[in-house]
Amino acid sequence: MTIASDILQAVLPAMLGAPDAAHAPIQPVGAGAWWIGLIPALPLLSCILCGVCAAIKVKSKLPAWLTVLCLGISFMLTVWMFQQFAGGRSVTVAWEWINLGWTDSQGQRQALVANFGFYVDSLTCLWMLFVTGLATLIALYASEYMSHDVGAGYCRFFAAFGLFVFSMACLVMGDNLILLYLGWEGVGLCSYLLIGYFYKKPSAVAAAKKAFIMNRIGDLGLALGVFLAFVQFGSVEYKVLLDAARPYIEAAQAGHFDEIPFTVQLIPILLMVGAFGKSAQLPLYVWLPDAMEGPTPVSALIHAATMVTAGVYLIARTYPLFLVSEYALPIVAWVGALTALVAATIGMAQFDIKRIMAYSTVSQLGYMFAGLGVLTSTGAAFHVFTHAFFKASLFLACGAVMHGFAGQLDLRKLSGVGFMKGWQVVALAMLVGCLNLAGFPFTAGYFSKDMILAEAFVTPHMAPIGWILLLTAGLTAYYTFRVFFRVFVGPKSFEPGDEVHAHADHAHGDHGHGDHGHDAHGDHAHAADHGHGHAAGHGSGEFHPHAPGWAINFVLAALTVLSIGAAGLYFLGDHGGWVAKMVHESSANLPAVAHDAHGSEGHAHGTFLGMDPHKVMYYVSGIVGAVGIIIAFGLHYLGRKTAATANADKLVPLLGPIPKLAQGKWFVDEIYDFLIVKPLHLVSIVFAYVDKLLVDGLVNTFGWIPRAFGSGLRPLQGGNLHGYAVQMAGGVALLLLIVFLASIAGL
Amino acid sequence: MGADLIVLAQQGFPTPMGGATLAHYLLVSAIMFAIGLIGFLTRRNLIVMFLCTELMFQAGGLALIAFSRFHLEHSGQTFVIFVLTVAAAEAAMALALVVLLFRKRESLDADEWTEMKG
Amino acid sequence: MELVLLILIPLVFAALIALRPAQESKFLAVIGTLLAAAVGVNALGRFDWGSPGAMQLEAAWAWLPALGLELSVGVDSVAMLLIALTLLLGPICVFCSFTAISQKERTYYAWLLVLQAAMTGVFCARDVVFFYTCFEFTLVPMYVLISLFGSTNRKAAATKFFLYTFTGSVITLAGLVYVGWYNATQLESVGIETAGRWTFDIGALEAAAQAMPANIQGWLLLAMMCGFAIKIPLFPVHTWLPLAHTEAPTAGSVVLAGVLLKLGTYGMFRFVLPFVPAAMIEFAPVIATLSIIGILYGGLICWVQTDVKKLVAYSSVAHLGFCILGLASLNTVGITGSVLYMINHGLSTGALFLLIGMVYERFHTRSMKELGGLAAHMPVWATFMVFFTMASVGLPGLNGFISEFMCLMGAFQAGDAWGSLPGGTGGSLGFWYALIAGLGMIVAAMYLLYMVGKVVWGPLVLPAGHHHPGHGAGHGGGHGHGHHDGHGHSHGPLPRDLCEREIFVLLPLAVLCLVLGLFPQPVIRALEPAVNRVVETIHLAGERPEKGHGVQASAPATGSAPEVMMVSSGHEGGGK
Repeated sequence: MTIASDILQAVLPAMLGAPDAAHAPIQPVGAGAWWIGLIPALPLLSCILCGVCAAIKVKSKLPAWLTVLCLGISFMLTVWMFQQFAGGRSVTVAWEWINLGWTDSQGQRQALVANFGFYVDSLTCLWMLFVTGLATLIALYASEYMSHDVGAGYCRFFAAFGLFVFSMACLVMGDNLILLYLGWEGVGLCSYLLIGYFYKKPSAVAAAKKAFIMNRIGDLGLALGVFLAFVQFGSVEYKVLLDAARPYIEAAQAGHFDEIPFTVQLIPILLMVGAFGKSAQLPLYVWLPDAMEGPTPVSALIHAATMVTAGVYLIARTYPLFLVSEYALPIVAWVGALTALVAATIGMAQFDIKRIMAYSTVSQLGYMFAGLGVLTSTGAAFHVFTHAFFKASLFLACGAVMHGFAGQLDLRKLSGVGFMKGWQVVALAMLVGCLNLAGFPFTAGYFSKDMILAEAFVTPHMAPIGWILLLTAGLTAYYTFRVFFRVFVGPKSFEPGDEVHAHADHAHGDHGHGDHGHDAHGDHAHAADHGHGHAAGHGSGEFHPHAPGWAINFVLAALTVLSIGAAGLYFLGDHGGWVAKMVHESSANLPAVAHDAHGSEGHAHGTFLGMDPHKVMYYVSGIVGAVGIIIAFGLHYLGRKTAATANADKLVPLLGPIPKLAQGKWFVDEIYDFLIVKPLHLVSIVFAYVDKLLVDGLVNTFGWIPRAFGSGLRPLQGGNLHGYAVQMAGGVALLLLIVFLASIAGL
Repeated sequence: MGADLIVLAQQGFPTPMGGATLAHYLLVSAIMFAIGLIGFLTRRNLIVMFLCTELMFQAGGLALIAFSRFHLEHSGQTFVIFVLTVAAAEAAMALALVVLLFRKRESLDADEWTEMKG
Repeated sequence: MELVLLILIPLVFAALIALRPAQESKFLAVIGTLLAAAVGVNALGRFDWGSPGAMQLEAAWAWLPALGLELSVGVDSVAMLLIALTLLLGPICVFCSFTAISQKERTYYAWLLVLQAAMTGVFCARDVVFFYTCFEFTLVPMYVLISLFGSTNRKAAATKFFLYTFTGSVITLAGLVYVGWYNATQLESVGIETAGRWTFDIGALEAAAQAMPANIQGWLLLAMMCGFAIKIPLFPVHTWLPLAHTEAPTAGSVVLAGVLLKLGTYGMFRFVLPFVPAAMIEFAPVIATLSIIGILYGGLICWVQTDVKKLVAYSSVAHLGFCILGLASLNTVGITGSVLYMINHGLSTGALFLLIGMVYERFHTRSMKELGGLAAHMPVWATFMVFFTMASVGLPGLNGFISEFMCLMGAFQAGDAWGSLPGGTGGSLGFWYALIAGLGMIVAAMYLLYMVGKVVWGPLVLPAGHHHPGHGAGHGGGHGHGHHDGHGHSHGPLPRDLCEREIFVLLPLAVLCLVLGLFPQPVIRALEPAVNRVVETIHLAGERPEKGHGVQASAPATGSAPEVMMVSSGHEGGGK
């Protein structure tokens, strides 16, 4: 008996016991309203308008306002959609995209149908609410953040921004897997364009390329999954696909996976490869930290809150398919847990605060995958939801710091920022975000993380995952507060960013900002100064930190409120809160319902050190988080006099090579480079030579044969008339001789 | 009637060319051809060589006419008329070329011209 | 009648260009191609899209009645769309040459128009010999264009192009003539209407070829593929392509990539699949394997190129691999994807060649070592470049995606394991073929983004001798690039970024890329019956092993029966 069948045996009988779960009549798919199409269309419109702005050379903040306006309306429409359609299933077809039919060998009419249509249920609404909501807020933030680039770059930024939201909307709202694939690669493109926004910087270009290619590896898995789903079920539309797996669920619950066709079980495994790529899971996670080369609003929106959760969305959306596979969910759980741990260990050793946040994103995404793997799609979705808000606010706070300190992101060069004038909102947003991320009791992050942890211990055979996640929770609390204690509190001291950063992220725009009055000369003088290695304490003499303006503060405040408020969602509704309700109503409902039933029946399940995980996990995870925070406090705040050093430095030598390895990201990039990129490049060079010498050489050889033959005969053409005459006469004589001999021989 | 004519034609008319059969014509033709060939191979003068080719031409023509007579068919003779026409045109061309060549090198020696070496 | 006009108009204008003074040739070429395009639009309108699978707009004149040769034309939706592509690229090729070609303009434009006429003829032809005549005649103008207007190594490239493709297609001709002979002399007792007399009508020969025993079909497949595979080009007979592309003038490359390569794939669609379906079923894995090798091998070679044009040329090898894979999948999705691919590749790769040509005109180099970060220097150009690169990568929402996805899906569906599943079609490809070919998607991203990363993004690099743009250099405006006439191309003053004419050349392609990506359904609907007709032929061939047996035993057909049985049973095993 395998692990997976154990899990499903434990869970699925209970599901069948619950009358309105597996045996519930399939909910009919209704028709949606036409205006649902506007939700993706408006961001696309904003993209087009920004393109027009670029064409007519607009040199104001107009593109930003257009984008904010379009996204805002889109968000309002999403809220309306949520009120009208959540809980049901409806499809709005905008137009026929692909519809190709044929007659198969049995004479049946088959067709590949993929419409540009939008499938709306609760899961769609849940995702779209935070996608459009956050996108609007972050666009507002970016209007100020990107102000140094007003002109062509500004238009480019917001065009890609609008295109991103459009793609994300297609991904989430698409009514079939091919439209999802469109969104899937579309967000990849926007990610590529936005990571490479500072295109003069080779590292940004490389990071953008890496992100796209890594994602493509995942996309291949997704594409194959789509093919197999189509081959197996004859459709790529959710309305068919999601119910098609139902007949196999009984076999799955009995543990008879051998009765389920292999092809059916293979579908989720292929889909999951796509999810791993997009959501930066092992082994495809390496692109996400590099993606921080992009402007911070992009990191916040795409690489923290929305795009990277697409993998979670895919699995949640196709959850029925995952349930009938023996290995799919356990793989998801293990990959998620290991990713969470690995990313957390790397995050602990980094010094670049944005990169720390990036690794924490990878780690939290691992949490979500683990949640899906241990059958709590509710927990995963809730974590996606809360994470979107608090991680966005964390990134935006980091971005504000970066914006204000000329690109400085090194936590050894900043300290006490929260006590400086004009930085209170940023510090507060950061604190709330950190508390959420650390899972501090009664924050939203605490509840969502808790749900996953408890379920990991409840699910049979998944306890090791629970322990890994618990350890990760502690590490997360530590590295999160490491940032907070180093940068936002402590003695006031800072060092502005070097010229590379200033050039890259800020061009020369900071200085054009006007109201702060610092000029380029001051900055340059300062840069030269700190080039001599002064650690800290330059204070306000030459460089004025550039405190955020109203847009940034407003957005940070709003996100802070939202991320606190998200905790309240947990208490809305009966069990598991509002998100649970939303998930139950959607295609990802099965395990959650199962879990309810199975809890009430008192079915034997896993425990946490002999206690009911559901009851004790609140305390355990709270304690773990608090311990992490206290350690960070001791190591990075207590007795710290400068920005550069803290108590933690004394610990480093005790750990041997580990900090070095972790700081080097376990050298995964280098290993990939050595094992894959380099050999492939070598093979390519060999191919290029083979093509030139062997393949083309053969062709040239064939061309050479007649030429050689000709040059062999060439001396016969002496050019002398008599020579030809003799040859001719000789030839005639020879011919005659042959005829004569032949006639003698009687032929 | 037709059969008699063929017999007459093949065995030779009694008068006035009594006894001259196909073999005689072919012999003359062969001799002419041999003279032409030997001349063509041995002489260096372009005009003489050209005359030799004409001789070989006419040898061929003679053989054709003889065969034509022998078979009592007209196609051979028709053919010869074509050959003569072409030969006349050719002679004009060739002589013109020879004159041009002579103007270039002041010589009619065929060995002077080896530009068409392969 | 429209179709005949489509062939005649460019020919007439070519003659006019040859007769009129050189100053008028540009003008005449524009008028000629635009007029042809206008007639083409009319033909598109007169085409009955309600029954796109049938041959339409037919017309015929006796040519050599003793041999049954006819000058007959007619199109179905596949041919109609490819003609539309040809007619679209015609004016584009003329417009893009205005500044690039400054000498021997009459020769250039006249041959360009002759080329267009020949290509249109290929797609129109309903007579095998007429088809072949046009097919081969494309070589002559292309030879002239490359050898007179190409870059440094143009003579060798042109010769190789001509001899290589010509050698192959002579064998194709032999195969096709054999079918005609077979139809006239070997088929009398079979109930085929046109059998027993000399005809070269494609439809008639199709029936005749299908009646051949399997081993002869196999040889016929080989003979036909000799010409078509070289033209496509399929690995390992692709080596003429990078050379020809690199040396050809911009318009030559555009036509070469846009239409000439499609002659091979169109030939496969029109001749190989319906003529020898039984052999095709047998050889599909071989052809698919070669195409997959082409995808990966061509793609990886792209990745180490330093010449942008050579990179895009090799990318054609990889892209056409997908196209052939779709054809070899022998099912509706794959073949439709493949036909779409023919059009889409023409649009996106044609545009890439145009873009590269525009850069070449300005800097006289195509080396990625000498060019970099042009986004800062030529933003409009860079925008188009990224756009068309993404179309070429197969980004969903743009045209390349639909076709690439369908080709892969077709290959996937054609697995023998899933003949009984609702979405499977049975066949001899399947999961592994799709997976390995799918790796080509990743490789495509690798090499195209490598190119964009070098040329478009990154720090600005211009060839030595070029003015580095000063700070605050305004947009547009002549920037003094007029000192580069050392190559003999004295081009007019080109602005720093694209001029309006160049944007005008690129825009229709860009719009079509978007439209075909977002609204492909009208095209797909038009292709469906035409493709299904071919697919049904293949089904029949797979199901009726004794098809070849009714034939007179005059052909040495005795060894064929077991082969047919084997093939069809394999196919049916997948199909049931």
